[in-house]
Amino acid sequence: MTTEALRAPRIATRPLRRISEKSGLDTAAGHVLMVLLSIFCLFPVYWMLASSLRPANAMFETSLVPTSMSLDNYTQAIDAIPIARMLINTLVFSVLSTVFQLLTGIIAAFAFARWKFRFDKLVYTAIALTWLVPFQVVMIPNYLLIAQMGLLDSVAALILPNLAAALAILLLAQAMRGFPREVIEAARMDGARNWRILWEVLVPNLRGTIASLAILIFISSWNEYFWPLLLSRTAENSVIQIGIQMFMTAEGNQWGPLMAASTLASLPVLLIYIVLQRQVVQSFMKSGIR
Amino acid sequence: MFRTSLLAGLLALSAATPVLAQTMAPSIDQPVTITFYNYNLATAGLGAEATQKLINEFMAANPNVTVTGIGYSSADSSRIQADLAAGQPIDLVQTVFSDLDFSVHNFGAQALEDIAPAEEITAHLAGMHPNGTKLGVLDGKTYGLAYTFSTPVLFYNVDLFREAGLDPDAPPATWEELKAAALAIEEKTDAEGFSAGITGPSAVDWLFQGIVRSNNGEVISRDRKTLKFAEPEAVEAVKMLRDLNDAGVYEVYEGLGAVDAMSSGSLGMYLQTSALQSGLVKGAEGNFELRSAAMPRFGDKPTRPNNSGSALTIHTTDPLKQRAAWELMKFLTSDHGYTVITSEIGYLPLRPAIVTDPNYLADWVAEHPLVAPNLEQLDRLEPWDPMPGPNYRQIVKTMMDAVEMSIFGGADVEATLADAQANAQALMP
Repeated sequence: MTTEALRAPRIATRPLRRISEKSGLDTAAGHVLMVLLSIFCLFPVYWMLASSLRPANAMFETSLVPTSMSLDNYTQAIDAIPIARMLINTLVFSVLSTVFQLLTGIIAAFAFARWKFRFDKLVYTAIALTWLVPFQVVMIPNYLLIAQMGLLDSVAALILPNLAAALAILLLAQAMRGFPREVIEAARMDGARNWRILWEVLVPNLRGTIASLAILIFISSWNEYFWPLLLSRTAENSVIQIGIQMFMTAEGNQWGPLMAASTLASLPVLLIYIVLQRQVVQSFMKSGIR
Repeated sequence: MFRTSLLAGLLALSAATPVLAQTMAPSIDQPVTITFYNYNLATAGLGAEATQKLINEFMAANPNVTVTGIGYSSADSSRIQADLAAGQPIDLVQTVFSDLDFSVHNFGAQALEDIAPAEEITAHLAGMHPNGTKLGVLDGKTYGLAYTFSTPVLFYNVDLFREAGLDPDAPPATWEELKAAALAIEEKTDAEGFSAGITGPSAVDWLFQGIVRSNNGEVISRDRKTLKFAEPEAVEAVKMLRDLNDAGVYEVYEGLGAVDAMSSGSLGMYLQTSALQSGLVKGAEGNFELRSAAMPRFGDKPTRPNNSGSALTIHTTDPLKQRAAWELMKFLTSDHGYTVITSEIGYLPLRPAIVTDPNYLADWVAEHPLVAPNLEQLDRLEPWDPMPGPNYRQIVKTMMDAVEMSIFGGADVEATLADAQANAQALMP
């Protein structure tokens, strides 16, 4: 058995469900329910968009469609904070955090899944326990370390504590342990060494799990708030979540620019979701959010 | 033995040497960089823009000084604590008045009398309202100069007043009148009668202190050693607020919901810091007429409002940086500084003369009549007393939780406040 054979698409063997057996009423009711749920889910997004177009003195209108619309809030938001720079910082932070956490997760998980070594269970348990420690607990020690390294107020410092994560290691180790040992042995008989087995056998076959994990890491990094709040000293070196919060002031919340900034901030994640929608749904169905 | 003798000698020498007063350098004769921790800079909008503008103007006038503005959250001061631990320089800080005691004892805020020449302090304080200069005084020394601060004012919706048959030219001056007005608004309009920023997650205790004082009570003794918020005057003040709630006219909102309710025209009256003025004006524009009045009083007792907001505190011990920080502090609290702070952010000017001076605020005040009650209250202004000790936030929380339960939670007022006072007193240093 070659590694190429493993990459061949799997043929669905389960019988297709007979949709026609369902009554038309059930189908219609299902569709109505789905439409209602979709409206329920999309309404806050619509309201954010609509509010971002309302002028300040019409912010609390309850009409579904704004009676007067302008892009002033977007202008204000862009003038008040370096929104493009913040979005780029957030993107760099999220992408690099995702890549590094996946990389360190895959390698560590492979070690735990593939070999038995002294204190392996202890190390694994210790990693699992770090998952239970809230980031706020280690935030100040991390900050002191970053300050000693002279990296305060930099995007690099945002990424540094996020190079590895317990969630990635645990999830991938679990997935690798569930991978058929016979397949790995077959690859070994074909002459593949550990490095090749990892990258040419395991990783391609676990892409569903890896994809769902990548999405989870990316979204949680995108929404990261406390660490950038402590670390960033200037708006230019901060992330978009801090930028949005800057519109909530002691002199009252500036809802218009806040909604405009929120709309701009959610666009990249929305675009990624639209592009990867099929992969996202498939991967979540396959591996679940364990 | 020699080491012990040396140590004893050094200790004796240090004890014999008086604390050096006026430590700052006489002038700035070389380039110096200072940090300015400022919570307005952590926001987007008017506060940040005006602050940065003032910093830029100062640097242009003082080319030897570079000011690094650092935004921080005033809600927890975690950045200042973290930076102190990390050995980062903390030179000048915009300190919330309730944090002043903690800032002095833990963040190294310096008394101006200890670092600045007395004649310079006297010269700078000349022209400031005496009620304003005492706001930053703690244990007899001036640790902070009032910077961005305001007093509680009663914002009211003129359109709702008219709809309810009330006279908008005669806003409620007492709590009894406020209750009657709120009842009329509740009965004759679709709006809510009244709300206040006394309680809630971001309220702290500044407004509550002023209300208790206005009933001739105190939440803490003058020497800041004994809590007094369960004494009869405070209990009576809380009972008055409870009565408003029981009458169905004191609306409680989640978070800053009351600000939004007032902006949207669905709330008749709102007692809050005057710093909200510009935001409320924007919401009202074209929708309804917004006015403001002084804080209501208890019967014929004159109100004793206290301030919200912040002071400037110098933390550096470096003589040159102290001089630079002092010069920046003077600039920010100068006639020009307060003109920018008042007209562009919405806080109070501590220098009364600039209010009528056409070179400063005269035109702006004429165009913004809502500021009048705020200015009038300056004459009765009292300090927002900071709770002492490392547990100061827990003391405030214990007190305010009890107040909230007494007003809105149906709890027995006397018993709840007495219980909370006993618990909080145990947290005092």
